Amino acid sequence: MRSRIVTAAALTAATALAVTGCGSGSSGSSAKSIKVVYWQNLDSTNKLQATFLASMVKEFTKANPGTKVTLVPVTASENDYYTKIQLMMRSPATAPDLVYEDTALINSDIAGGYLKPLDAYTAKWSDWSQYADAAKSAVTGSSDGKVYAVPDNTDTRGIWYNKELFAKAGISVPWQPKTWDDVLSAAKKIKAKLPGVTPLNLYTGQAGGEASSMQGFEMLLYGTPAGDKSLYDASQKKWVVGSQGFKDALNFVHSVYSEGLGPAKEQALGANFGTTVGTELIPAGKLAMDIDGSWMPNNWSDSAAKPWSDWQKVMGTAAMPTQNGQAPGSTSMSGGWAWSIPAKAKNADLAWKFLSGTLQTKTNSAKWNTVNATIAVRKDVAADASYLTSVPTNKFFTELVTDTHYRPGLPAYNQVSTAIQKAMESVTTGQASVDKAASTFDNDVKAAVGDDKTAEGSS
Amino acid sequence: MTALASAPRGTGTRRPSREAPARAVRTLLRGLPTLPAVVLLAVFLAGPIAYCVYYAFTDMQLTGASGARFIGLDNFTRAFRDSDFLNAVKLTLVFVVGSAVIGQNTFGLALAILMQKATKPVRALVNGVVIAAWVLPEVVAGYLMYAFFYDQGSLNSLLDALHLPAQNWLYTMPILAVCLANVWRGTAFSMMVFTAAINDVPQELTEAAEMDGANPWQRLWRVVLPVIRPSILTNLMLITLQTLSVFGLIYTMTRGGPGNKSETLPIFMYQQAFQNSLIGYGTAIALVLLVVGALFSVVYIRLLKLEDD
Amino acid sequence: MAAVATPPATSAGHAAPKTVTPRRSRRFRPSRVVINAVLLAVSALYVLPLVWMLLASVSNTNSFRLTMPSSLTLDNFDAVLNIDTTYRPMLNSLLLCGFGTAVTVVVSVLAAYPLSRYRSRVRRPFLYTILFSTGLPITAVMIPVYSMFVQVNLIDSMPATALFLAASALPFGIWLMKNFMDGVPVVLEEAARIDGANTMQVLWRVVLPLMRPGVVVVTIFTFIGMWGNFFVPFILLLSPEKLPASVSVFTFLSAHDQTQYGQLSAFSLLYSLPVVLLYLLLSRKLGGGFALGGALKG
Repeated sequence: MRSRIVTAAALTAATALAVTGCGSGSSGSSAKSIKVVYWQNLDSTNKLQATFLASMVKEFTKANPGTKVTLVPVTASENDYYTKIQLMMRSPATAPDLVYEDTALINSDIAGGYLKPLDAYTAKWSDWSQYADAAKSAVTGSSDGKVYAVPDNTDTRGIWYNKELFAKAGISVPWQPKTWDDVLSAAKKIKAKLPGVTPLNLYTGQAGGEASSMQGFEMLLYGTPAGDKSLYDASQKKWVVGSQGFKDALNFVHSVYSEGLGPAKEQALGANFGTTVGTELIPAGKLAMDIDGSWMPNNWSDSAAKPWSDWQKVMGTAAMPTQNGQAPGSTSMSGGWAWSIPAKAKNADLAWKFLSGTLQTKTNSAKWNTVNATIAVRKDVAADASYLTSVPTNKFFTELVTDTHYRPGLPAYNQVSTAIQKAMESVTTGQASVDKAASTFDNDVKAAVGDDKTAEGSS
Repeated sequence: MTALASAPRGTGTRRPSREAPARAVRTLLRGLPTLPAVVLLAVFLAGPIAYCVYYAFTDMQLTGASGARFIGLDNFTRAFRDSDFLNAVKLTLVFVVGSAVIGQNTFGLALAILMQKATKPVRALVNGVVIAAWVLPEVVAGYLMYAFFYDQGSLNSLLDALHLPAQNWLYTMPILAVCLANVWRGTAFSMMVFTAAINDVPQELTEAAEMDGANPWQRLWRVVLPVIRPSILTNLMLITLQTLSVFGLIYTMTRGGPGNKSETLPIFMYQQAFQNSLIGYGTAIALVLLVVGALFSVVYIRLLKLEDD
Repeated sequence: MAAVATPPATSAGHAAPKTVTPRRSRRFRPSRVVINAVLLAVSALYVLPLVWMLLASVSNTNSFRLTMPSSLTLDNFDAVLNIDTTYRPMLNSLLLCGFGTAVTVVVSVLAAYPLSRYRSRVRRPFLYTILFSTGLPITAVMIPVYSMFVQVNLIDSMPATALFLAASALPFGIWLMKNFMDGVPVVLEEAARIDGANTMQVLWRVVLPLMRPGVVVVTIFTFIGMWGNFFVPFILLLSPEKLPASVSVFTFLSAHDQTQYGQLSAFSLLYSLPVVLLYLLLSRKLGGGFALGGALKG
């Protein structure tokens, strides 16, 4: 879903939301107003977060008369959104009071000095104990152990498959592959039996951004025998290069795209492909399998641009198998987004009040996880019956949490992730062989983190 | 001959040198109208460029580290060991030479010459469509060229109709596609320069050549081209510099891909500085880009000067 | 000297053949037919992408194929003609580029005069620097520019952004303007000076009226360049409601490149309209586009 074109025109910004506290002449901003920056997906019909946040602002200003919360949506591709908020956070004049970002970025922005530690606040906030430990660690600084954000959702990833297409191709459903080969052989069967249907989507290439790294590559890589140590070895504090697992995962990518099991290469490498997958290919029955996230029902819900009520009947879910079926049998990746207060925020106290008192109460948290079809990070929400039943697949994806993996929460991750995308793209296009792409990746990682911070993979 | 190195104009008689202080004051007073320009250029361009030079020797990052350390030439040594950088340098040269020096320049000259001999409506038509492509905003031009070269786009429709082999241009030969796109968009500039230059070629010269029995080709080669040589050089310099920094067109069409098959230096720089957050490395690449531009300029200016003497 | 605003080029080209060659042989010259045919073919290739955009904007079928639409529709225009997508960004663009262009034109006229009229030791290096700066990759300097804008609290300010745009267009503006000015005979100025006019009066009353084509050319070049610039406003402006159309067309492109070619084409068309109109309007005064080239001949 993320192209990379440079943009930030918030086509969607309501004129009413005149930005007050920013830019020149902002020195007079009162202690009673805060500025909240979030990402407006390029798919401008997707207003889930805009609507939700607007209702939160209403609730907050009603309870706290005289305060003012300004919502600033930044319409851009995901990468450009980060560029923009990092630029904003560089100076007091432009820093927002609350900013929304992917937890993968938190450590990088901590190291950049952009974020404010929140320990003083969380210590006095009883709700903080409700947050799952894994989620807490995702927002904790790797070097100083301080808390820098409050996560509001997490997610897991698996295989979405079209039960009708599977039945037509003669594959019995429910379907649960045991190994990578099972996935590929199902794809081959579909290719043979159902011309015109794309057997399998695996996100790839640089235009896909983090979706390529996570849904595409790491879903494979963390399922190799090295498991949690396949990308970063936390015990040695070193990035792994030259591993067989990395090559095997690339080889999978190569198989998918060179054998015609995936989408057309130029389409898969194009910008915004994620939206096409969710809103067009899957509902139209043109894609049989998609390795994707727990949030997919967002595309099909009644509040979406093109609701698709049949999805519960048509779509099945399966866990992503490990490479050879080795224990624990399946794998998943988890990320999530979180709210931070920039170090240069003018009104941190009020921002915290909005965050803890309105945005992240149990009720509102559950509401957000429900409307956004994301996995809860609060234990009380995760046990909430209305949350569990709101989206039928919530239960399945919540269970994947047991075997899930988190990305290394380190500043260098971004660059490593870009290197992964590059390797994938060169293999997808056939510009480089698997071995060549893997060695380019090794060099890129060494250049990014330094030779001394890398270790050769064991196998 | 060239306007750059024009002779002094209109100042009348020279004062004797003993009035040097007065002359300095006079020079300053005369230079006064340049002040707004000098201030704007110094503040908005020279200042930032100086900063760029400084950044290029540091490890500054947009995120992932605060502050910046001076790291000497590390960014540059890293660049010259980076196969992607070398690839970008190569593609930039291909792009500049292919689309500007050869493409726009030659094609623009050809159009200017042919139009002299064409009938009036045809001339007006060519003029109109070529300039239309140039007037369009870069992003729109990029979008149209994307649509044109797309697998199911106009070009392949056309090739199909002519029973020529179609192919997925943006995918199989992206650098050729962006070169052609730049020719499409930029030729108008060269065409206008050359049309004006050719119109200034003294009639007597061509007529005399014709009397001597020179055929049109010889007249072009021996009379017209030598006379408009300064125009050609100035045009080359301008379009080279412009083409070196083309970003929007390529970014809209291919984003440098697939892989890095159309990743020229401006795209590579953008990706390093903003996508990878490596501001220091990105600006070092920008400096290299400036140096490449300077080298081209020096060559052209040398040639112009030779002309002058 | 090169820089004169050339007279409309149409006459000069074949005045001579008319007198030299007999009429009949000229009309049937086969080379002329070939040349016309070649030029028509070139025009066809050139116009193809433009035609596709026109057709796609009024077609209800989304396709990159060049086909006649089965039925015409204005739905695409309807969909984009609203405040957030079109009107406000366009207005912002007009403000930014209008102000920026005005600054560039005025400042470059002022700067061009001494460069054209007086000789000094700094003149030549200054001119070379200016010429070299025309090709400066603006993308490269945006980070320091951003830091600078933040430090002096000019970030998110439209006037400051317009000033920056003006500064980045200045080198080319000055250089063009100087070349045009070289073409204005000094003799006329001297007469005015004898009547007691000072430099500014001479510039305003004598030189400028004689180089109106030059001003027009610089205006066109500058405005077209600014109109298409998306990167500068993207970095320097933060508030969504201040962003110009160049940024929104980028957003539009990245959001819809897999779909909705119709709307995108309609929007592109609307977005291109102001520059095309400006060009048509101003170039008419010059008798075609050739004066644009006049200043560039070297």
